Amino acid sequence: MKTDLSPRLRVALYGLMCVLLIPFVFPTWWMVTSSIKPISDIFAFPPQLIPQNYDWTTYSKVFELQPFVQQYWNSAYIAAVVTIGTMVVSSMAGYAFARIRFPYADTIFMIVLLGLLIPSEVTIVPLFQMFLKAGMVNTHWPLILVPIFGAPSVFVTFVMRQFFVTLPAELEEAARVDGLGRFKIFRKIALPLAKPALASVAIFTFLHSWNLFLEPIVFLSSADKFTLPQALTQYTDAYGGPMWNIQLAAATLTALPVLIVFIIAQKQFVEGLAHTGLKG
Amino acid sequence: MAVAHQHHETPKAGTPPPFWTIARRDSLAGFLFIAPQLIGIITFVLVPLGLVFWYSLHEWNVLANTFTFTGSQNYRMVLEDTNLLEVLGATTIFSVGLVVLNLSLALLLAVLLNQKLAGIAVFRALFFSPVVVSLVAWTIVWGFLLQKNGGINGMLLMVGIEGPNWLREDVTAMISVIVVQVFKNVGLNMILFLAALQGVPKELYEAARIDGAPAFKQFRRITLPLISPTILLTSIITIVGSLQVFAQIAVLTQGGPGLSTTVLVYYLYQQAFQFDYFGYGSTLSILLFVIVAVLTFAQWQMRKRIVFYEN
Amino acid sequence: MAQVTLSEIRKSYGSVNVIHGVDLQINDGEFVVLVGPSGCGKSTLLRMIAGLETITGGTLDIGGRIVNDLDPKDRDIAMVFQSYALYPHMTAATNMGFSLEHRGGSKAEIEERVNWAAGILGLEALLDRYPRQLSGGQRQRVAMGRAIVRNPQVFLFDEPLSNLDAKLRVVMRGEIKSLHQKLKTTTVYVTHDQVEAMTMADRIVVLNRGRVEQIGAPLDLYDRPANRFVAGFIGSPSMNFIEGTITAEGFATAGLTVPLPIKAQSHVGGPAILGIRPEHLRLDPAGIRAEVLLVEPMGAETQVTMLLGNTQVIGVFRERVDLSPDTVINVMPDVAAIHLFDTDGGQRLD
Repeated sequence: MKTDLSPRLRVALYGLMCVLLIPFVFPTWWMVTSSIKPISDIFAFPPQLIPQNYDWTTYSKVFELQPFVQQYWNSAYIAAVVTIGTMVVSSMAGYAFARIRFPYADTIFMIVLLGLLIPSEVTIVPLFQMFLKAGMVNTHWPLILVPIFGAPSVFVTFVMRQFFVTLPAELEEAARVDGLGRFKIFRKIALPLAKPALASVAIFTFLHSWNLFLEPIVFLSSADKFTLPQALTQYTDAYGGPMWNIQLAAATLTALPVLIVFIIAQKQFVEGLAHTGLKG
Repeated sequence: MAVAHQHHETPKAGTPPPFWTIARRDSLAGFLFIAPQLIGIITFVLVPLGLVFWYSLHEWNVLANTFTFTGSQNYRMVLEDTNLLEVLGATTIFSVGLVVLNLSLALLLAVLLNQKLAGIAVFRALFFSPVVVSLVAWTIVWGFLLQKNGGINGMLLMVGIEGPNWLREDVTAMISVIVVQVFKNVGLNMILFLAALQGVPKELYEAARIDGAPAFKQFRRITLPLISPTILLTSIITIVGSLQVFAQIAVLTQGGPGLSTTVLVYYLYQQAFQFDYFGYGSTLSILLFVIVAVLTFAQWQMRKRIVFYEN
Repeated sequence: MAQVTLSEIRKSYGSVNVIHGVDLQINDGEFVVLVGPSGCGKSTLLRMIAGLETITGGTLDIGGRIVNDLDPKDRDIAMVFQSYALYPHMTAATNMGFSLEHRGGSKAEIEERVNWAAGILGLEALLDRYPRQLSGGQRQRVAMGRAIVRNPQVFLFDEPLSNLDAKLRVVMRGEIKSLHQKLKTTTVYVTHDQVEAMTMADRIVVLNRGRVEQIGAPLDLYDRPANRFVAGFIGSPSMNFIEGTITAEGFATAGLTVPLPIKAQSHVGGPAILGIRPEHLRLDPAGIRAEVLLVEPMGAETQVTMLLGNTQVIGVFRERVDLSPDTVINVMPDVAAIHLFDTDGGQRLD
């Protein structure tokens, strides 16, 4: 496929890619620019690709109408805890399934993989009842415990197992001869070598938690407990219609930090994903 | 254990083998390593799965606080629920449309990004960027764009076309929710395809060129077969993922107009958490589980027939 | 320094037996090479000594301790792996000092040991490099350094030279040998390459299908192979084998008669296999007729494949013979270097 392209073909390909880019890039642009337009301009015709007038008060309303800082913190800390917890649980399990011989390992692995077949949407009703009985409804526990230990982490375990399988066995044998026990081999040899794999699954675990929507609206009921995705939809007027400019401002505040991190570290994001055994 | 061994030939130094042999210690380590995951799966997946089946056999009245065993009544309701038929139709259209559009666009983008062009990494990052944009933020801005007087219709009007009220008409609402979801996540599959394309040995294309195969034939006879494992994997992930789409529907259309964009997960949520029909909601959960399981199993079976090549 | 004793060592995976009871005594300071074709069990045996494979039966004694159930770390052994198994995320120095870190050595102590080992192996300038920045030979040396820093009782080598190119292999062969002469540590070395075995070993253990075929000094194995397998495995090109019958006149095969040493007279009358090494054939007008099939000049010597009776044999001649295929030559075996084996078990006849 990779042959040298003629100049005309080159121009055509650039043109095609630029057109295709519009639906990928324009919405983000539109979100940011519309959020700083005065309310009277956001539905203006012809559409203002570049804002003519600015109204920054929208942003202060984001914080006035809801405890937005608190909600931001909720989302951030939950995602961080889930990411760290998943890394610990899944890298240990993935390592054991790849590297340690123990009785019934294959059977247990199949049981764990069942988690892939059972998306958390299937079990949301009983999970709600269980957390209700445990007095954990309208707390963040369900949003932390279920992703770390339940179905979402199974995928991470699977990816980590696929990675650890490729580690040369002789490295671990050398470590055993050097005097390390299982746990130290894991900590000092396997885990440091798994850094690239861990980094990319960490990114996706974080995004998964950051984006959760069904679980928060099922489990959380008070505004100071809300996470960002849920909070964004709460900026509505008396009739339940969205207050567009405020929603867009809050959405911008939600999306921009992650986008900026992505721009800085896009290579790690994209290449990490490609090279992390996700291929099967 | 130690006693039994003493009847055997005792080793010279006279030390009986310890109970914690290397193999036993390793087994213990293995169990300890997987324990958190295994206990988690049992607590948060298997027990709830059992419970959801148990609930599905009951009528559960939240207000009256009654929980009555009704056997297969909820399942009979599934068969008689005419709304459900519409829901399953919408789910099918949504999933099929999403998978077809997602995979073909992902493949097209991957092939484009696999060309030797300057600045290709920038394009790659831009196509990927919606993946990292908060899902609900992405959905909100599309909802905004798709309003009757929103940005898209505004631009259409500039070239003299009067656009529909995208989210309020059956067909366009469905198209909208599919398209919004495709642009959000196609970057993931695009990167997986790109990695697969780059994994095809260059020599094969060189050999094909020497054999005189034109570019499109090289693509059909070499590229597609060699990346078929990736196509299968991404299609499984995408189909199962499409059955879990909830936020987009909730934000964009709330399942409407009518039931035209009410997919199974959204219907389940409504039944269980808006109408408090926990029993029937559980039955719908079982239905969702069966669909996911059957699809995954079927695709796994197709592996042998569709995937030409695997290492 | 220690003596290693294997008694009746067995290994099976389920019902498949791979090592069928090996007895071997390795003396203090000895360099023993385990050699055999792939799948003969030599690596398994080494890994059992290391503690990386469990021992199904028998006892393993290192330095007077039964170590069957001990972890590798408690056996006081060090091992050099085929792939070197250097930790990719650590520098050469950290790799070498790693085992000491886990044995509670102080920082200064570790550094001193690492510098000592680096000095012996000529690694002083490379200590801060990561494995990926080292050449094959340098990695090999770091792997050896990692083994010697601890001053273990036994060194174990698992085909350590097989990832090197032919030239470097010869160099490293010499280095390992001189390292052993310096340190005098008991060493068990596994290889499939009989040249490595011949040049390095104090004693060679030839293994085949999980059994010991012969144990002995390199030249003993060369001069008096105990059976046809050892005879064919040691020496390159391999020994020629000719089937026939021992008669009073000599060894009869396909209408030809090969002269035999006098001691062979005790076996007259029976069928047997005659073994003669290629280097023990010489061109002699009075010799046996042979038809030339293939001539391979190597410079120092010429290797000739020929048909002797109905058996294909190889001869290696020091003189530059100018032969072409299909010509007929006469060759004479060195009678003193003829080996006889019985036809059933392939055991040596003496």
